[in-house]
Amino acid sequence: MAEDDRDNKLRPDPDALLALAKKDRRGKLTVFLGAAPGVGKTYAMLSRARRLKADGVDIVVGVVETHGRDETAGLLSGLEVLPRARVAHRGRMIEEFDLDAALARRPRIVLVDELAHSNPDGSRHPKRYQDIEELIDAGIDVWTALNIQHLESLADLVAQITGVTVRERVPDTVLKRADEVLLVDLPPSELIERLKEGKVYLPDNASRAADRFFRLGNLTALRELALRRTADRVDDQMVDYLKQNAIEGPWAAGERLIVCVGPDALSEKVVRVASRLASGLNAPWIVVSVERADREVETSERLQRIDALFRLAEELGADTRRIIGNDFVEEILKLARREHATQIVIGTKWRSGLARLVSRSLPHALARRAAGLGVYMVTPERAEERPKRQRRSPLNLSAVRLPVAIAVAFVAATSAIGKLIDLFIDLPNISLLFLLGVLGAAVTGGYLSAFLAALLSTIAYNFFFIDPLHTFTIAAPHEVFALLVFLAVAIVAGGFASRIREQAEVARIRATALQSLYDFSRKLSSTSKTDDAVWLAASQLQASLRRNVVLLLPENADLRMAVAWPPDTELDVTDVTAARWAQEKREPAGHGTGTLPNSRFEFRPLLGPHGALGVCGIEQTDEPLDINAERALNAILDQTAIALDRARLSEESVLQAARLEGERYREALLSSISHDLRTPLATITGAVTSLRQLGDRMSPESRDDLLQSIEEESGRMSRFVANLLDMTRIEAGTLKPKRDWIDVADAIHAAVERTRKHASGRTIETGIAADLPLIEGDSVLFGQVVFNLLDNAIKYGGSEPINIYARRDGQDVLISVTDLGKGIPTEDLERIFEKFYRRGKPDGRAPGTGLGLSIARGFVEAMGGRIHAESPAVRKKGTRIVMRFPAVDQEKVRKTS
Amino acid sequence: MTLARILVVDDEPQIQRFLKPALSAAGYDVVEAATGAEALKAVATLAPDLMVLDLGLPDMDGKEVITSLRGWSELPIVILSARDRESEKIAALDLGADDYVEKPFGIGELTARIRNALRRRSPHELQPPLIQADGLTIDTVHRLVSRGDEAIHLTPKEYDLLTLLARHAGRVVTHRTLLTSVWGPAHGEDLHYLRVFIGQLRQKIERDPTQPTIVRTEPGVGYRMLAEHD
Repeated sequence: MAEDDRDNKLRPDPDALLALAKKDRRGKLTVFLGAAPGVGKTYAMLSRARRLKADGVDIVVGVVETHGRDETAGLLSGLEVLPRARVAHRGRMIEEFDLDAALARRPRIVLVDELAHSNPDGSRHPKRYQDIEELIDAGIDVWTALNIQHLESLADLVAQITGVTVRERVPDTVLKRADEVLLVDLPPSELIERLKEGKVYLPDNASRAADRFFRLGNLTALRELALRRTADRVDDQMVDYLKQNAIEGPWAAGERLIVCVGPDALSEKVVRVASRLASGLNAPWIVVSVERADREVETSERLQRIDALFRLAEELGADTRRIIGNDFVEEILKLARREHATQIVIGTKWRSGLARLVSRSLPHALARRAAGLGVYMVTPERAEERPKRQRRSPLNLSAVRLPVAIAVAFVAATSAIGKLIDLFIDLPNISLLFLLGVLGAAVTGGYLSAFLAALLSTIAYNFFFIDPLHTFTIAAPHEVFALLVFLAVAIVAGGFASRIREQAEVARIRATALQSLYDFSRKLSSTSKTDDAVWLAASQLQASLRRNVVLLLPENADLRMAVAWPPDTELDVTDVTAARWAQEKREPAGHGTGTLPNSRFEFRPLLGPHGALGVCGIEQTDEPLDINAERALNAILDQTAIALDRARLSEESVLQAARLEGERYREALLSSISHDLRTPLATITGAVTSLRQLGDRMSPESRDDLLQSIEEESGRMSRFVANLLDMTRIEAGTLKPKRDWIDVADAIHAAVERTRKHASGRTIETGIAADLPLIEGDSVLFGQVVFNLLDNAIKYGGSEPINIYARRDGQDVLISVTDLGKGIPTEDLERIFEKFYRRGKPDGRAPGTGLGLSIARGFVEAMGGRIHAESPAVRKKGTRIVMRFPAVDQEKVRKTS
Repeated sequence: MTLARILVVDDEPQIQRFLKPALSAAGYDVVEAATGAEALKAVATLAPDLMVLDLGLPDMDGKEVITSLRGWSELPIVILSARDRESEKIAALDLGADDYVEKPFGIGELTARIRNALRRRSPHELQPPLIQADGLTIDTVHRLVSRGDEAIHLTPKEYDLLTLLARHAGRVVTHRTLLTSVWGPAHGEDLHYLRVFIGQLRQKIERDPTQPTIVRTEPGVGYRMLAEHD
């Protein structure tokens, strides 16, 4: 084992190689990184492009802002510049980078300046870096330029240093994933010089800020940031290189950070600090938020804040987790152990002196129990940043009215009952009755009712039951104490009771959700059809999200709207494009995502093991989905994907089975035709050529015999061809039997005669009842059936006699053909009616064509009769084929005659 | 000269019914067998000079008959086979059958194959010094090939190929036989060698290489060289 381990260490890290391989298929991203505007990024980029162009590299300019600078504009001459798209933006037409044109042009390298640029509303992606990612995905190399201040993780630092808040930000992951970063550096003093000479372009509205921004101190700090970022990257690359080449390196053994966040204001800072810490340590980091399991009713405001934090963290390169649990510290530590974390980062809030006394703060509790882990505490910037008590929204009267009413009602009722009891018995402890009232209010109306009821009860108790009565004054001092104790007990008990009620409510909501999901999955599992599954999914989604939904399924390389709620929902171009994106890229698109956020719908792919099985669109409103809805949505989508995959598989297997069946049929047909046609043909050809070439040397008897064999074989072939044609008619459904009346005895006699012609020497015994009624049907087909049955009986009946009987059985006529051959095993009794089934060797060398019985069944059923086989028929021998036809109503017959 | 005795092995009575009078009329003594076991017994007891064998028999595969027969007898075998059983036919030839006729066949075709197969057994033709075919002369003693007075230069492989076909003139030689005899046992599947060398050979020996008359292709099976008397 140990040997193994050493081996593995010396081998290149597979993950590292995989990451490399994945990179190879994509285009490469080159970022020209600068500390500030004006350092010459665009200039450097264009100069380099010209050199490559001169070497014959297919390089085009997607978008480059020259800002009217001649020296930069001069560099553009000779380079292919893609025309820009004209886009309407806030009532103006502006020129924008044309992503589709670049994708269509497919150059090897495309220059797209200003990585941090935001696209106008209505573009496919809100941010330019997303355009660039699409280009890279399409296998096109991209060169772009970026100023360090636009980097997300540095946003607060930059604001702190320069006092300018940067709004256009780029996630760190973009820079981290860049294949090459070129630092374009200019000493700050020179930059200021250039600025003074007017060589640095600044938008009009920014010139005021420029003075503040372009200070030597600021520029030096920014320059340091840019240099350090580049150096970090070089360091990362070295570590990657060492890993890929299995060089035993000095890289740090896995630091891992767990970062705890909540909905408070400090958490954003915690995330940014952790991001810098993680990149400094070169460590992966997980951002986690813990939700109380018993506090289902999270406000949507809190959830939105957590969501925003998670998005930020993901942009900065973190993993995010949501954990549900009651013990915050325990959950964090559990996660830390599971993830082998080495450090925990947490924000520590300003706490009042009293709070510090009463309980230990979370960070401290964490620090106390986090054995072996580093705990990194992030403090608020300034003392005044203490969380201001969040201003309550003005009381929502309608929401408060009910609990108040409940409290008042319970207290009033308790007082009344108390008074009533007081009339009859002298109850020493009437306060217990009030406690009961408080509990009642708590269970009925929740926490607010409980609290109110406790207060009101205290007052009422005092007013009605404590001397002096009907005043709020209290005579005996010990009563004051009793009253206070009562108040405390009431509040605590009420609190507990209301909490129990809350939990019961939560449990109920959860159980309902679970039940509904369970019902859904049960219904889903009972369907194997795609259409049923999507219909179920749509109605379930609509019911649990209360949103409009659409489900689209792939069809002929496009998407088809399979089901929509409401059914008349129509998708516009943006929606459809977003849906296609979700399907192709297997990631969410549309509203609330980075792709086509203008769509009304958020489209999520239904991911199966072999790609997206379809797309689900959920119409978004101003209010985002809460966490319960989100969970339900995910569960439903997962279930649906599984169901769709299963439906696809089962549909495929049905097709496959049909194909197999068809194949078997064709094979049987081929082997039957080849054998049954070839043998007579071979005989005829052989006999004819023998007669022609050797006839004069043969005796007259031999010649006669050959001629006779030709005649017989021709007859055999013609019967076979007729059988084939009959079969084709049955198969094609073109068989239309005449609805005539058949005299069974007559038809049987004719068929027996016909059979005797080619089977002379065989005994056929007939037994036909005298009172046999007529049956309805086609006499030609009926005759053929009887003939086929007799023919079959002769083939398989050995040399024993064949019997054919017909008799009346109630309203039916029974006709049976019996042979005394070997018989048929019970399990094959049905199969003998299948096409090309023959008793005998599997190579098809039994004498029959395998069609006779199958044709018989086809004809009998077309005439409204039934046919089956029985074996053994007589004394453990033989086979009996029994047909049953309804007799023609005797009334009808009498009327005719 | 006594009549050559031919054993016809076929389970279809219709086939037997016309083969017997036809082959008798063609001058052979015909004996019949309907199963593989009967056939083997007949070979041992009746000493036929040639066997006409249908590959589909009720009791055993025709190939089994060939295999068990070849253990102790060099009896020439002509196979009756169907076009859709090509692989069976080739396997039978590789197992030691001498030739085949596809159903349905004319009696002339069958008697020609029977004649060629019977001739193989006459010892003086095993290594004839001079082989003639459509104006082509092969001198197997001096290893010379010529058309009229004109000598044709062949590479050793081409010559081997040609003489192998010539020794079996009139009879089919399977791809496998050609490949393993000329190139060695390891090359039994290298069909592309044959395509190339037969092509080259035809360029040199045929009057019109696009319409070969001397070396004819038996699609999917092998090649057959024109027999002197054809």
